[in-house]
Amino acid sequence: MNLSRIVAVAYKEWREILRDRLFFSLAFVVPASLMLVFGYGLSLDVEHIPFAVVDHDRSAMSRDYLHRFIDSRYFDYKGHASREAELDSLLADSKVRFAIVIPPNFQKNLLAGRPVAVQSLIDGVFPFRTTASKGYVIAINAAFNGELLANYISQRFGISPEQAMALAQPVSVQLRYLYNQEVKNVWSMVAALMMFVLMITPPFLTALGIVREKESGSIYNIYASTITRGEFLIGKLAPYVGISVINVLILWIMASWLFGAPFKGDPLFFFFASVIYVICTTGIGLLVSLIVSTQVAAMMLTVVITIVPSVLYSGLLVPIASMDPRAQFEAHLFPAMYYTDIALGSFLKGIGLEQLWGRVLALAIYAVALWILSYLLFHKRPRS
Amino acid sequence: MNKYFTKGVILWWSRLTAMTVKELLQLGRDWFLVFAIIFLFTIDILMTGNVRLELNHATVIVYDADHSEASRELIYRFRPPYFRLGGEILDEHEGIQLLDQGQALMMLNIPPNFQHDLLQGKPTDVQVLVDTSNTVLGFLAASYSAQIIGQYGFDAALQRMGVTEKSLENIPMIVDQHRVWYNPNQNDQWFIPITELLTIITVLAIMLPAAAAVREKERGTIEQLIVSPLTPVQILLPKVIAMTLVILVGTAVSLFLVLEPVFHIPIKGSLLLFFAVTTLYTIATSGLGLYIATMSRNLAQAAMLAILILMPMIFLSGAWTPPEAMPEGLRLAMYLSPLYYFIEMGYGILFKGAGLDILWDSLLGLSLLGTVIFTFGVWRFKRQFR
Repeated sequence: MNLSRIVAVAYKEWREILRDRLFFSLAFVVPASLMLVFGYGLSLDVEHIPFAVVDHDRSAMSRDYLHRFIDSRYFDYKGHASREAELDSLLADSKVRFAIVIPPNFQKNLLAGRPVAVQSLIDGVFPFRTTASKGYVIAINAAFNGELLANYISQRFGISPEQAMALAQPVSVQLRYLYNQEVKNVWSMVAALMMFVLMITPPFLTALGIVREKESGSIYNIYASTITRGEFLIGKLAPYVGISVINVLILWIMASWLFGAPFKGDPLFFFFASVIYVICTTGIGLLVSLIVSTQVAAMMLTVVITIVPSVLYSGLLVPIASMDPRAQFEAHLFPAMYYTDIALGSFLKGIGLEQLWGRVLALAIYAVALWILSYLLFHKRPRS
Repeated sequence: MNKYFTKGVILWWSRLTAMTVKELLQLGRDWFLVFAIIFLFTIDILMTGNVRLELNHATVIVYDADHSEASRELIYRFRPPYFRLGGEILDEHEGIQLLDQGQALMMLNIPPNFQHDLLQGKPTDVQVLVDTSNTVLGFLAASYSAQIIGQYGFDAALQRMGVTEKSLENIPMIVDQHRVWYNPNQNDQWFIPITELLTIITVLAIMLPAAAAVREKERGTIEQLIVSPLTPVQILLPKVIAMTLVILVGTAVSLFLVLEPVFHIPIKGSLLLFFAVTTLYTIATSGLGLYIATMSRNLAQAAMLAILILMPMIFLSGAWTPPEAMPEGLRLAMYLSPLYYFIEMGYGILFKGAGLDILWDSLLGLSLLGTVIFTFGVWRFKRQFR
């Protein structure tokens, strides 16, 4: 390894990046704007579910019951329909995602002490939203039932409403949310977004770098020079790693200042873990560029290797813990998951090397493996 | 006159066909590219079938200070498929540690005298600590455990008053009868693979035409095309047509070889309509690709620009995240994304069996938006030839 040769290649690459003004600015604009748009827009909160109502009873009690849905921030009231048949087309057109049908004699039956079946129709196309909507419906019904039961007890046994309430709902739940007290989606989201943005942009930056030399033929200058394989790869990669490390810092600042995510962990540890992660992701780009021979193919292969796993197997949208074993195994094959744990741990849980060393080790192994693979795949004397 | 006219038309079309064939040949020669496209439409979609957005055996650890029959009954209600008991711990501190390390998602904390208080009719608190660093899981776990404990309390109250199954008919209560439509079992295997397919169509519809156009610029072959008798539209349109054909074939392959046989997705609506809509969408979106191609001089630039447009489009159009929860401004911006309309129609046709009578407004929206995008992209590209 000759340092001056590495520096020469790195400098040449740097000059080339710098000369391409649009590319150079995109290298910083793309990560920052993805963070900005997703940080504000990407929310998994299920709120404002549009719903419609068919009320066959139109009594004081049915209105009281319906108002619990109408006043809830989880539901957006879209109006009454007169017949069930109208609900069909509203649901099919996705104008509403949820509908309640209140039967005739709702009030009469309840006052007479009889149970009443209330039908709710839920659009099942988006399963997560369906589950959440179902949860809200069950919770509202449970609260309403508790009150009905308390009224019933107080009338039947002649005790005060407070006592009856305690009898009707003997167990209360105290929910405590750890790490993210307000269940602020944006906090856990920005931490995961750092993983996501750093998974997508560095490989694209890098992948096209070497293929471009292959496609334009300037790689023959390298083949003919005295530079060794290792020197060339390190020098070629260094500027991209540098750009990505700067992006780490930019994203970090955005997460903390713009989105107000608390950082509870060790900054130094997180920084070094991030550098290792960035070396991994640029390494993916490097590997892609060595396999293919055209830039178009490099672009598509990078899509295959980065976008898909970072969406599904990183814990950004889909929690790893809830996957079935096969998908969990697949998730462990990609570096994204480990870094998500590191980012979430450092930001929200305040844990460091002690608990996360395994994840960092996995990333490091990944980086080394990518490096060795690239080294083996890169030949200065190509066949044919 | 008429003869020359027909001759001209034939010539125009034969040139268009020749160029389309050229684009397809060029694509087919790049083996890695072909592999990537096949992979995306088959194996990739197959892999997404393993992914669930549901609480699946989340580990619950229990700190039971009561050790009574009542507390055991409550604990026993936390069971698969949503929960899994991860054992009992002896002090709360140990529980916090397990939560820190991510060994458990939730801790159930039952106070002493739980059963005693229940029998006395005194209110009692059960504490639930949930790890919400992953909001989805935390939210689901909190909501399910509140349901379980609430139901337990309700049952206990009824039991205390001596209400049995039979006399339950004499208690005023609302019996919840919810019916889930279109995907009754809320099967993620129906939902996620289709979302993935729509995502892949979008990625390819932007990237492939953009790449095909920029490549000509980067290699200089565009000069040859300019001096040929081809008009700019005859140069551009074949790229869009060829890539649209590739995407349509890919969609058919993944629909008939993966989605239907492997995941048993019910196709309720008209397939003809689905493919017509897909064609319209692909052409509309490829306008964006052409626009990218006019802005960039090399593929590296094109790739970065494509990501800048693609990622927000994919994630904010309502497939992966609920659009209702987005901030107002972005929700309005969503109407500018062709994918938003495609998602409405794609799910509408496949799952809900919706036809033109219901989807006409989305179709109109997509057509208008598509016309604007595509015309703009072509206009920008044509301007470069001057």
